[in-house]
Amino acid sequence: MTAIPVRATRKTRLLPGFPRCMILPTLLLAALILIPFAAPLITGADPVQIAVRDRLAPPSFAHWLGQDEFGRDRLARVLYGGQVSLTVAFVATTLACIVGTLFGLIGAYFRGPFEFLTTRLSDVVLCFPPILLALLVVTLFGPGAGTLVAVLSVLYFPSFARIAFSEALRVSSLDFVEASRALGTPSHRIVLGTILPNIAGPVSVQYSLTAAAAITIESGLSFLGLGVVPPAPSWGQMIRGARQFMSQDPLGILIPCVALTLTIYAINFFCDRLRDTLDPKGALGGGKDETSVPVAAGMVPADETADVVASVRDLRLDLMRPGGPVNVIEDVSLTLRANQCTALVGESGSGKSLTSLALMGLLPGAVRQARGALRLRRKSGEMVDLGALNAKELEGLRGNDVAMIFQEPMTSLNPIHKVGAQMVEAILSHRAMSPSDARARAISLLELVGINEPARRFDGYPHEMSGGMRQRVMIAMALTCEPRLLIADEPTTALDVTIQAEIIELLQRLRTEYANGLSLLFISHNLGIVAKIADRVAVMYSGQVVEEGPAAQVLNDPHHPYTVALLESMPSSHEDLHSARGDRLRAISGTPPLLDARPSGCTFHNRCPIAVSSCADARPPLFVSADGDRQVRCFRAPEAGLEAAR
Amino acid sequence: MTPLLEVQNLTKSYPVGRKGLFGKRMMQVLRDVSLSVHPGEVLGLVGESGSGKSTIGRAVLRLIGADSGTIRFEGQDLSAISSTDLRRLRKDMQIIFQDPYASLDPRKTIRAVLTEALDTHKLHLGTARAERLIGLMEMVGLNPTFLDRRPHEFSGGQRQRIGIARALAVEPKFIVCDEAVSALDVSIQAQVLNLLADLRAKTGISLLFISHDLSVVRYISDRVMVLYLGKVMEVGPADQIHFDPEHPYTAALISAEPSLKHTSQRIRLTGEIPSPLTPPSGCVFRTRCPYALPACAETVPPLRDAGQGRMKACIRDDIL
Repeated sequence: MTAIPVRATRKTRLLPGFPRCMILPTLLLAALILIPFAAPLITGADPVQIAVRDRLAPPSFAHWLGQDEFGRDRLARVLYGGQVSLTVAFVATTLACIVGTLFGLIGAYFRGPFEFLTTRLSDVVLCFPPILLALLVVTLFGPGAGTLVAVLSVLYFPSFARIAFSEALRVSSLDFVEASRALGTPSHRIVLGTILPNIAGPVSVQYSLTAAAAITIESGLSFLGLGVVPPAPSWGQMIRGARQFMSQDPLGILIPCVALTLTIYAINFFCDRLRDTLDPKGALGGGKDETSVPVAAGMVPADETADVVASVRDLRLDLMRPGGPVNVIEDVSLTLRANQCTALVGESGSGKSLTSLALMGLLPGAVRQARGALRLRRKSGEMVDLGALNAKELEGLRGNDVAMIFQEPMTSLNPIHKVGAQMVEAILSHRAMSPSDARARAISLLELVGINEPARRFDGYPHEMSGGMRQRVMIAMALTCEPRLLIADEPTTALDVTIQAEIIELLQRLRTEYANGLSLLFISHNLGIVAKIADRVAVMYSGQVVEEGPAAQVLNDPHHPYTVALLESMPSSHEDLHSARGDRLRAISGTPPLLDARPSGCTFHNRCPIAVSSCADARPPLFVSADGDRQVRCFRAPEAGLEAAR
Repeated sequence: MTPLLEVQNLTKSYPVGRKGLFGKRMMQVLRDVSLSVHPGEVLGLVGESGSGKSTIGRAVLRLIGADSGTIRFEGQDLSAISSTDLRRLRKDMQIIFQDPYASLDPRKTIRAVLTEALDTHKLHLGTARAERLIGLMEMVGLNPTFLDRRPHEFSGGQRQRIGIARALAVEPKFIVCDEAVSALDVSIQAQVLNLLADLRAKTGISLLFISHDLSVVRYISDRVMVLYLGKVMEVGPADQIHFDPEHPYTAALISAEPSLKHTSQRIRLTGEIPSPLTPPSGCVFRTRCPYALPACAETVPPLRDAGQGRMKACIRDDIL
């Protein structure tokens, strides 16, 4: 029983402040670097001492790794050779890294002539084939470790300059660099104190790749007889010597190769971990797609009339964490009917997007459906349980019976394909029809969503369109297979006000004109838009629906204190207030809880102005209005005339 | 009263691609914009994407250079000033950004962020430093024990408060708020707006408040300026602009805004916003204006007095 905690504490206390994931790579790398330099301690043998009688001798007690073609001790040669290889590689890489990064940083921050100098200089060096350049220089200046360092650092300088340049350019355009400039921070402090740490990740990865490549090139040149001068040992030299006796003595070639491989592996391993550690958010630990198997709870669907297009019953979603599942969505029930627009309203972290993704069968890998039923009506009229479908059947459902449009129309369209081609592909993937029929259908859909000159736009690219037009194309694509349910996740948030109003009108129009009675699930944080478009509103807070009912009633006479507060905090609901007159908006104190840290009791109790002490103890049940049309999850709802459900 | 910030005939264009072998295609984002901000005043800038409102914010701080026009801060011409003097002047003018995630260096603690500001201008040195840091945190409603945390440990609203604290650290007289509350949740947005309102009441700071949200701008601003394709369409007292717009574009913008109460008919604008590369002749808004006359295509309408401290760039008086 006691063994486990003891082991755990010993591990973490080994080196306080030292990240645990770095221990193994650091030890490995340190060992591989230090061992060659500890050569005199390990073996007394001289790496250049020739003993012709014992050439190609197998390992013995005196010579652990045997002797080479001149009878020299292989252990001594691989160790002393490592000294040379590592020194050349690291000195050259470090020089290239410092010079290249500085060039990149200065070029990216100051632009103008500095940018020209950095990019052109790198381009010029990159124009030379690296091996050819190395051969040329070595031939001119004669072989030797010093020449190698010089050649390698010139060769590798551009890769650092380029990476540092492009990364620094990206970081310089971020607001926090602008903020430093606005503060009047001197340029050198911005470059070294702000930009440099933020590009350290990619540069360190480049360092590992380059150091590894430098070791290889050093060995390659030595192999060709252009690097380290014999008889001085180096790994390339060893391979060169052993090559001729490969068939009689495979060990001779194996030893330097293993040394090379191990060293390069250790460097890469170390740098990968280093990059993850340097990232302030830490490595995104594990959590790899644990295949989520939705649980079919076998619920009996109640009140499922023919106009119900989709229903969510008592949905409970858990986020799978190393420490166990964390509940993120709790008891969410929704009924979506044909010809109706239901708005799902909530702030970030309320779970509105997760709920909609569940309806598409598109839950992220780390989220598991723990309870509840998701049911969807197919075009055949049959109601299917999403939990009972396999991945392939779900795929057939998406786009066909349920479709989705997203917030950012630019990222949802493939920029390198023509708009029409993308639409035709979407149509043909679900329908068997001739390409010319698909084209005609696509053009008629473009016309339906109000795109001028649809035939011309059909042959255009997404970048030729404005944001509003792209969102119209997305809607047209979503409608290609005449789905019964359209999920719109913040479809107008990225658009300008005047364009937003047009898209809302389009969605409104589609609901009346569209043939088989489209049901719209509209996800938004903007109550003004919701008031325009929704028939019913479900307000979500921290993974639960806290209020649900007809839009006009919920927005004009909200019962849940969160809905009240949300409406109150909108500046547009207080057109009489003005900051210059000392007026304050009625803000909700505190912040919305994160989905994975939901409060106990009523999830809103710690921000609620009317909370009573018992609110912190238990989750409030849903209270239902007398006509059954409204539901509120609040202990104080009975004061507004609502009753506990069943 | 002399204005704190006075901008005259500001023009700015960006190169976009090439024209021919050597020529550059220029996209004009600001056309002859003039504005002034008085001490203690909040000027709201509204407009859709491409209207140039963010460019104005950065140009008045000299974070980007302008093509022509003058920017005077407390009477000093910012374009004629040396870089040393400009750096000193940065203490008096600050900026708050839209994206609370991009505006803080992920590698710096809050203490380091605020210290950078104070160190740069050698403020509150020695023992006064710790006190000042705590004071700043309290001023923006954050727990001072959070000082040694890094940005990723905070929510969007808290990050925005840190951004405000950074701007306030150097005790500026003027702050550009570039969509400072747009990325926040509604409930948090109200908190930050209240914080800004409190600050202006307490410190008499001037703000250039840039936003696309008209109700937010109306609540926080004394005067509002409406921009379209880099041109000023209308400027005047906030409530008047909001409830009684004179320019057809302002009217269309306000009527398009989704609101719980407005049930009035939306003024329909035809077509899309023209590309700034090929702006319409005459009035830039005429291609979408429901009231456009043939004369609108001929000359650029000047920004003219419309009474009661209002100005508008529209040749018609017989509408709205």
